[in-house]
Amino acid sequence: MQLYLPIAEIPVNIFVIFAMGGAVGFLSGLFGIGGGFLLTPLLIFSGIPPAVSVATVTTQVVASSASAVVSYWRRKAIDFKLATILLAGGVFGSLVGVILFDILQSVGQLDLVISLSYVTFLGAIGGLMLFESVRAIRRRKAGTAPSARRPGQHNWIHGLPLKVRFRRSKLYVSVIPVVGLGTIIGFLGTVLGIGGGFMMVPALIYLLRVPTSIVIGTSLFQILFTMAAATIFHSIGTKTVDIVLAMTLMIGGVIGAQFGARMGQKLRGDQLRLLLALLVLGVGMRFAVDLLLIPDDFYSIAIRKGAGS
Amino acid sequence: MIRLLAFLGVFLFAASSAGNAQNARDLVTALSANVVSIQSNFTGTEIVVFGQASHIARQPNAPDGFELAIVVEGPPQDITTRRKGRFLGVWVNREAERFQGVPSFYAVASTSNIGDIADRNVLDDLGIGLNHLNLAVSGVSNVALSDRDDFRRAFVRLREEAGLYAEQQTSIEFLTETMFRTNIPLPANIPVGDYKVKSFLFNQGKLVSQTEETLAVAKIGFEQITFELAQNYSLLYGFLAVALAIFTGWMASIIFRKD
Repeated sequence: MQLYLPIAEIPVNIFVIFAMGGAVGFLSGLFGIGGGFLLTPLLIFSGIPPAVSVATVTTQVVASSASAVVSYWRRKAIDFKLATILLAGGVFGSLVGVILFDILQSVGQLDLVISLSYVTFLGAIGGLMLFESVRAIRRRKAGTAPSARRPGQHNWIHGLPLKVRFRRSKLYVSVIPVVGLGTIIGFLGTVLGIGGGFMMVPALIYLLRVPTSIVIGTSLFQILFTMAAATIFHSIGTKTVDIVLAMTLMIGGVIGAQFGARMGQKLRGDQLRLLLALLVLGVGMRFAVDLLLIPDDFYSIAIRKGAGS
Repeated sequence: MIRLLAFLGVFLFAASSAGNAQNARDLVTALSANVVSIQSNFTGTEIVVFGQASHIARQPNAPDGFELAIVVEGPPQDITTRRKGRFLGVWVNREAERFQGVPSFYAVASTSNIGDIADRNVLDDLGIGLNHLNLAVSGVSNVALSDRDDFRRAFVRLREEAGLYAEQQTSIEFLTETMFRTNIPLPANIPVGDYKVKSFLFNQGKLVSQTEETLAVAKIGFEQITFELAQNYSLLYGFLAVALAIFTGWMASIIFRKD
């Protein structure tokens, strides 16, 4: 069934979009990720204008993180203080992101920056996750227990000033890295159309040493609000949030996520991380190939002013 | 079909009144619709241009020096065409040319090959045919003069591939000796706005008569409300999108709650 999208101004097959939302929702439920980094490229590859794809996925991430946040909230697995400080950085980063998005779009380098960022971040994080999960699987097979985190363990981040106590996370740490992390992820999320959970979670665990049980709920909570802010900034700035497209993706996504979450409970954590690492690397590679191969068409056009711009 | 008949009626009436005025109006045209509405089920449509050219004594398939061209033109746009080049091993957009005030949609139908209708400069002046479109470029451009034509061609080709520029030569069909019609397809991705439908009658390469109709392409109903909300009340639209997303997520967590 074809449905005309009011903002993208093209008709799309509603079932294809619904299935995409469902498939990405399944993976996001399976791996506990937002899935924006998969959905945005999928939409772009299927012919939705990149600006609409990026802006609309921020809305879809709001829905998928909202549904997950509720269950973490019930389990009290959210550090609201930490999330709020991350959020302050996130909103600021998101605002800068929208401004940069607009500038890049007008000079015609938005696609390049999106592609390069995908290659860099997905490559780096996918690589790290792959390395870590393979090591974990080997260790499990060899039967040695992983070295537990020692309470006194500190890194350079814990030496920074302006320290604040986060009771829920049992942390006493400077606000500088917290705000910085929020800003970077809010910025990237807005420019790339991703929630950034796959960057936030490892950063909270490895850099700030937030307990694993608190990390996902806190990350989701901050992503929910950062992406809500990004949706509003995109609505005002680029005016490319397509509510019909978002709604179709959301419904597909939340249904898919339920099945993914059930499937995820049957798999081991390190196996899941290995699969996710391969997925992340795969998407990164796809962008790298596009940048390196000789393009099919050297020319491209972009409407700058007037009808349909 | 009823609509078609109704328009035939309208235009026959118009034609008869034109007959009284003799040479004042050699050409009369009418559209099958003056408004194209875009709704959620819009997947493209077509408009039919009817017309009568009096005093042409034209036999079907035996032209007597009379030729017709019909141009449908969408609202103007500024469009940047970019060319990729290799930079540090990566393919990036390098040169850019900005075309200003070019039609967002352009379709031309004619009775014979456009090049045979009139001289090049006549066609250039009237903007008949994809090769004769006036594609004005902005003053600032980093494109070498020798490459300008490549950009022009690439621009027209990309617009053709998108279905937004089209040339249908010899697609005007004569119903009688003087009555003609042609179908102009409007693809699903046509921009909204006011369109012009210009009809030109040529005799031996000279413009004898021309008419101009307007055609409005507009979103209606839900599509229109959504679009206007997004454009004019963008803050409200943003909050609405967020509220909808949170509600959907919250509903899902209730529906699929396991405990």
